[in-house]
Amino acid sequence: MEGRPRDERELALRAKRGDARAYADLVRPHQEIAFRVAYLITRNGADAEDATQEGLVKAWRALGRFRADEPLRPWLLRIVANEARNRRRSAGRREQLTLRAASASPGEAAPSPEEAVLTAAERARLLAALEQLPGQAREVLAYRFLLDLSEEETAAALGVPAGTVKSRTARALERLKGAYEPRD
Amino acid sequence: MNLETELRALAIDWPPTPQFDPVPQPVLEPARAKRARRARLLALAAAVVVAALAAAFAVPQSRGAILRFFHLGAATVRVVDTLPRADERPLSSGLGPVISVAVARRTVETLLLPPLEPPPPLHRTAAEVVSVVFRHDGSPVLLSELEYGGSGALLKKLAADGTSVEPAPVGTAAGLFVSGRRHALFFAGQSPRLAGNVLLWEVGRTTYRLEGARLTRDEAIRLAQSLRKG
Repeated sequence: MEGRPRDERELALRAKRGDARAYADLVRPHQEIAFRVAYLITRNGADAEDATQEGLVKAWRALGRFRADEPLRPWLLRIVANEARNRRRSAGRREQLTLRAASASPGEAAPSPEEAVLTAAERARLLAALEQLPGQAREVLAYRFLLDLSEEETAAALGVPAGTVKSRTARALERLKGAYEPRD
Repeated sequence: MNLETELRALAIDWPPTPQFDPVPQPVLEPARAKRARRARLLALAAAVVVAALAAAFAVPQSRGAILRFFHLGAATVRVVDTLPRADERPLSSGLGPVISVAVARRTVETLLLPPLEPPPPLHRTAAEVVSVVFRHDGSPVLLSELEYGGSGALLKKLAADGTSVEPAPVGTAAGLFVSGRRHALFFAGQSPRLAGNVLLWEVGRTTYRLEGARLTRDEAIRLAQSLRKG
């Protein structure tokens, strides 16, 4: 997990005392990742937005139960992910979007060394294989490797113990390997 | 290269992250303490804020910035440019099984019932929203009651054009009246449906919602005040 900003604890303490501005500053760095977690669950931009918005408000109201010495992100992701799952349950047959690989445009910055090793076709094939995995396997891999969440954060987003994340990740990678079958 | 590295190398085309308001509009937040003593002040303050928000509706470019989102008890109201897809369903759909008055009393802190004898059947959803449909002046009206902080929560999405929100205090309780073009209503555990004119108000920990296609603001307030404690 990435290092905790030095002032996060101070902001958390102020927010717990009712300082709304401190709370906004506290959660701002985590809003994007929270929204993407919600999107991975709902697969719908509007539902992900609602879930993140409601999750942020619920977290504000639940701050009294948050321990300022703990990292905020897993706690916040747990709340937002719960909201997103509630919305997914109520969404019924609403359209769900699949993930797409970003396409590099001419004139954009050069791809990273990691990006450069996969061709566009390989990326599309890997993503298609990931999308075909069952929900649990797909989610754990998406959290761990697409969003680069720690095991603790992934556990929070999934609502499972950290040990479960480790075993679930290993099994999901095996399944993905079988589905992907990279060509030599 | 192993699969983990390849997965990390996938650059995903994520949707742009929207702007969020982590803290709801403070004046419409339910006061958790000293509520009884502050009720009148809260209603007045809410009326002032909602009047300002209603005025903001007249300025299209300010809608998104000013009236993006606010809370009244267990209800959240958001203004959006385009209404999400929502079903046309009757008021009586998705209310859950019929329950007794005793069960309803255990579900919401202050149960209100229509001024009818015998009372029409009460329903409760899995998310613990108590509802009753009855007729008022010949038209169906839906009364829903839910606890703030419970598993139920409702979200309204209003189109920025054609829907009006105005203050509608019910006695000393803060209230809002939403009318005009229909809005999308999201109840926990249900797919969204289109909703008509609605009065929202809050007493103690309970949020009330009165919906009727033909209800005017004044009628809705009178009807709300005629409800009896269950």
